[in-house]
Amino acid sequence: MIYFQILANGLMLGALYACIAVGFSLVWGVLNVINILHGTFIVLGSYIAFFAFRFAGIHPFVSVFIAGFVLFLMGYAIQSAMINRVIAAPVLITLTLTFGIDLVLNNAMLVAFSADYRKINLPSPLPSFEVASIFLPGDRVAAMGLALLLTILLYFLLRATNVGRAIIAVRMDREAAALMGVDVKRVNAITFGIGALMAGATGALISVIYPISPLNSSAFLGKAFVVCVLGGLGSVPGALVGGLMLGVLESFGGFWFGPEHAVTLSFGLLLILLFARPGGLLGKRGYE
Amino acid sequence: MSREWTSKLLTRFAIAGAILGSAVVAGQAQETIRVGAPLPMTGPLAPEGAKQKKGYDLWAETANAKGGIKANGKTYKVEIVYFDYASNTPRAVQGAERMITEDKVNFLFAPFGSGASKAASSVSERYGIPTIAATASSAEVYDQGYKFLFGTLTPNETVTEPIANIVTSKNKDVKKVAILARNDLFPLAVAQQMEKSLKAKGMEIVAFERYAIGTMDHSAAVTQMRAARPDWVYATGYVNDLILIRKQMNELGLRPKVITMVAGPAYREFAEATGPLGENISSVAWWHPAVRYKGKDVFGTTEAFNKAWDAKYKGEADYAEASAAAAGAILQLGIEKADSIDPKKVRDALASLDVETFYGKVKFGPSGQITSLEPPVFQLRGGKTVVVWPEAVKQGELEFFK
Repeated sequence: MIYFQILANGLMLGALYACIAVGFSLVWGVLNVINILHGTFIVLGSYIAFFAFRFAGIHPFVSVFIAGFVLFLMGYAIQSAMINRVIAAPVLITLTLTFGIDLVLNNAMLVAFSADYRKINLPSPLPSFEVASIFLPGDRVAAMGLALLLTILLYFLLRATNVGRAIIAVRMDREAAALMGVDVKRVNAITFGIGALMAGATGALISVIYPISPLNSSAFLGKAFVVCVLGGLGSVPGALVGGLMLGVLESFGGFWFGPEHAVTLSFGLLLILLFARPGGLLGKRGYE
Repeated sequence: MSREWTSKLLTRFAIAGAILGSAVVAGQAQETIRVGAPLPMTGPLAPEGAKQKKGYDLWAETANAKGGIKANGKTYKVEIVYFDYASNTPRAVQGAERMITEDKVNFLFAPFGSGASKAASSVSERYGIPTIAATASSAEVYDQGYKFLFGTLTPNETVTEPIANIVTSKNKDVKKVAILARNDLFPLAVAQQMEKSLKAKGMEIVAFERYAIGTMDHSAAVTQMRAARPDWVYATGYVNDLILIRKQMNELGLRPKVITMVAGPAYREFAEATGPLGENISSVAWWHPAVRYKGKDVFGTTEAFNKAWDAKYKGEADYAEASAAAAGAILQLGIEKADSIDPKKVRDALASLDVETFYGKVKFGPSGQITSLEPPVFQLRGGKTVVVWPEAVKQGELEFFK
């Protein structure tokens, strides 16, 4: 019976990982930008939810949309004002740029919000369900549901709308897309904005689960990185599969080998996969 | 730019430099004691660094407001020289050395935590600079035979024995204990010490799990502990870890009779962040604002210290903040006792101190670590801490979960 509990733990954790990674994967896959800012965007989303709850009593799940919108504008602005200028440069240049912006933004948050860990305490938190002696924490289940919904929404946005098709066109071939009349710079900005939107929304979502502090941003970034490599870059289903897999693996790894080895196990698997399938589980060759 | 003009400019710079230089010399003539404090002001340990800084600042301000430190027939003003080592231990060691050789500090406060304090103490030992560590409790820091290092936190067993005594004497039904420890110097050391204290009392350790630094999910450990049905869960780590562990224990149905967490509940933000889930969590700290001592130090009584703290920072100090302020107050006692700022004499005075301060009785053992403190045990109730031990300052009885 305990294995079902471990599996349930892993799936719930995995959905959160997927949500943490999907925006990062999109930006990396489409723009070829390794966005070091991603973790900080998530923390910023959490702070938006935290302050909206504290000063206006807005439920964090409602703040998902507010945080997503604010972060979209911010991402759009950062891409059009800064990253677009060096977008054609080698990946190391854009990485350094986002790294620099991240230092500024993260330290600004430290100054503005302090490094104290805070947490949203809902007056009526969702209870844990107990189904056949498997405990399912209410807020994790709800967060997982919302995370899946967001991810599916993104998937359809990319498939079924003009903007989405333009993003995919740019991902496949930047020059050809430009020749077909796609405004590549604008698509870049929108894509980066959507990446930030997903990060902000995720931040608001997990504000009911994790303590909030600017110091957490690197942990989120690390998870996003692993999930992307596991699942394959730039694909929404890839992030989902990678996230779920990482969650389940860490859960069982922690159970069998002790919690201190959970991370060792997931990174070990990452190494093996990099040898065996460098494109990730759902990655397609030649997309870069 | 013509050559003549350049040389004129250079001359002016030289004159200005000379004037500034003499001003600096004049400033030093006012007799200042400089204390170096390498602190993690940025990076992951920034919250801890900020706490220590508050303690040092309050001491310096209080000492100066009361006319400075008197020794050798002179009055010295206190100046604290800070260095941000960005949570990076090797840089803390470099910072300590630079402060001694370039900033010419007279004394040193050690960096944050046992690991960095141990590393930096080798530098101050080499230069013979008395160093006070405010946040290093592990005995391994003090077992190097160093003469110039002093610590204001008692060894780990003093924080595990009292709570083991209280719980076992009050509730005979508590027999099985699960321990969850952060795999990190202090949290792991204190958890292992707890295991020893509990085994000595005949308790059964049904689980001893370690989690890695930066763990974002404790569900596997909590599930495993739940399967072992413990009466008591003892978890160690820092605020971030412990908030998450408490939440996941609740979500996954791990409900023991006693929950003890070290070291987070002593901090205000822990009670705020856990909210109702913080209720009845017990913990230990080396100091608590409820203790009452009649100090001979610059702060005086514990009440007077609490008042000074509240006036400057609003609210109560936690043990790390108080320990930092105590480090300053103790250094001052040492200088005054030595009646000199000579490092060797101050070192000898510190080693022979036996005095009551706002922070507790201060007497250092042969290793330099304080031996005279009685770290209080407390429990969170209604978002506030209630001291349950020692008897002299007790505010209530330890309560168990139903």
